[in-house]
Amino acid sequence: MIELEYVLFLSAVLFSLGLFGVLARRNAVMILLAIELMLNAVNINLVAFTVYLSPDLLVGIIFAIFIITVAAAELALALAIVLRLYRTRSSVNVDEVNLMRW
Amino acid sequence: MNVDFALFIPEFVMAGMALVVLTVDLFLPQDRKHWLPYIALVGILGTMGSVFTIAGKSEELYGGLFLVDNFAVFFKVFLLAVGAFMVLASAEYVKKNLTRPGEFYGILLFSILAMMTMTAAGELLTAYISLELFSFSLYILASYAIHRPKSVEAGLKYILVGAFSSAILLYGLSLIYGSLGTTTFSGIADALAGNDDIPVAFLAGLVLVVVGFGFKITAVPFHMWAPDVYEGAPTPVTAYLAVASKAVSFALLLRLFAMAFGPAMDEWRPIIAGLAAATIVLGNLVAMAQHNIKRMLAYSSIGQAGYLLMGIAALSPLASNGLLFHIVGYSAANFAAFACIIAYENLTGKEEISDYAGLSRRQPFMALVLSGALFSLAGLPVFAGFATKFYLFAAVGNEGLLWLVIVAVAGSLVSLYYYLMVIKQIYLGEPEEDEPLRLSVSTVGLLGALGAAVVIFGVYPGPLINLIEKATAVLPMPV
Repeated sequence: MIELEYVLFLSAVLFSLGLFGVLARRNAVMILLAIELMLNAVNINLVAFTVYLSPDLLVGIIFAIFIITVAAAELALALAIVLRLYRTRSSVNVDEVNLMRW
Repeated sequence: MNVDFALFIPEFVMAGMALVVLTVDLFLPQDRKHWLPYIALVGILGTMGSVFTIAGKSEELYGGLFLVDNFAVFFKVFLLAVGAFMVLASAEYVKKNLTRPGEFYGILLFSILAMMTMTAAGELLTAYISLELFSFSLYILASYAIHRPKSVEAGLKYILVGAFSSAILLYGLSLIYGSLGTTTFSGIADALAGNDDIPVAFLAGLVLVVVGFGFKITAVPFHMWAPDVYEGAPTPVTAYLAVASKAVSFALLLRLFAMAFGPAMDEWRPIIAGLAAATIVLGNLVAMAQHNIKRMLAYSSIGQAGYLLMGIAALSPLASNGLLFHIVGYSAANFAAFACIIAYENLTGKEEISDYAGLSRRQPFMALVLSGALFSLAGLPVFAGFATKFYLFAAVGNEGLLWLVIVAVAGSLVSLYYYLMVIKQIYLGEPEEDEPLRLSVSTVGLLGALGAAVVIFGVYPGPLINLIEKATAVLPMPV
């Protein structure tokens, strides 16, 4: 079996990529996708910890299922707001969202 | 597993009433929509009544997932009271400015439900789900005025930052789960106390959790979203963000740090104390430069979050009493100030500080309540702010964090300056119009009740402190 360290490394890389995406991207939809990457890194972490450390206790896997559900709801809500923004100003660039100082 | 569902009655009532409001809204004709706030209010008061059926009990449900204790009961009653004031304060604003009042009140009730479960959470997953239900409700409420670009902008900024901070928080939670193998608060404390040296992964997780929560409670340097969201959101929602969201986040933080992270106190105390100092300094300094009253109160509430963080950093029985006391006093004063701002916006549609010039001549009662609330936020005697700050600062000083108390007192002095600038406008400014402003009876009652609360907590805090002592007694304190 692959060792736990490698899985954790994968999740850390994924999380960092997401973090970079949030900070570097200017398009609201891309920022949301980067946040999804970060959440999936968390899921990998939780499932890996459960499988490797406490296989009889399913807390981590249940946690991951909840995160997937919440993430879907969050994305739906965020896209609704992004759509609303697009209707009013035909752009989803967060740098142009500056009626108030960011 | 045998579960006593009677302990869930308040949550069931609240969830049921939220659905009732959404359903009734479908069948109400347009000219009867003004009934909705009253239905929501009945729901909140009914839930408050049902909370008393679980008062005084001390039980764990589902193996520590959900806690019924005095701490949860105290916060449930307090947050339901905040919710009731919120419904009263927003009724007129919603009728005038927002379409679809049904969903507004329905979602508001769901957010109160989330706050109730958050104060009762005894486990990371329960806490996280409650936090997300609460945040989702607020994202929707913040962007509720969909025809005002500023409101949509506030909603977008709020949800992007909120989702980002949740992801950071979750990564921290996953590391804590991985390093200790449990997610219940008491399990985490036991695992920490059993280890001689604290795992590095736990410390990394702890830092990420602090960052994630830092965004939620607007601690500097994670505060930059707050002023924009506070300014852009519909004014009652801003009040709700500043009061309820702060209060419940600190309730959860206090429980988490006391019940779960207590044994690792030496590791996190410097981090929290540093955050508190930065938050107090920056929040209060930047508030001085603001022209918009909602934005000014946003920075002032950032400063207040700093004072509240001091209570977490000190974490002694006395300091947690002080924390709860300051939460109640701050909420009353801030809500009183916002109730005035909402009423003024309903009457004139203005929200700049200079627009308040000469308010004392046009509406003396509102001027009195607003000044009292601002004095209380600054911490002047007679008002609640003095008693709560005195109690909290003294408790923090007792724990050897004197430097932090000095920073906080200096911050309070600075805050007096910008609160006085508003009061100067109110009493000495020249009004553009001389025509008196008329308040509705319900607004006068609301302002009177909140203003009275600000004074009563200041001069006669005894009964409240007794309740607070009972609530914090259930939290285990690190020695």
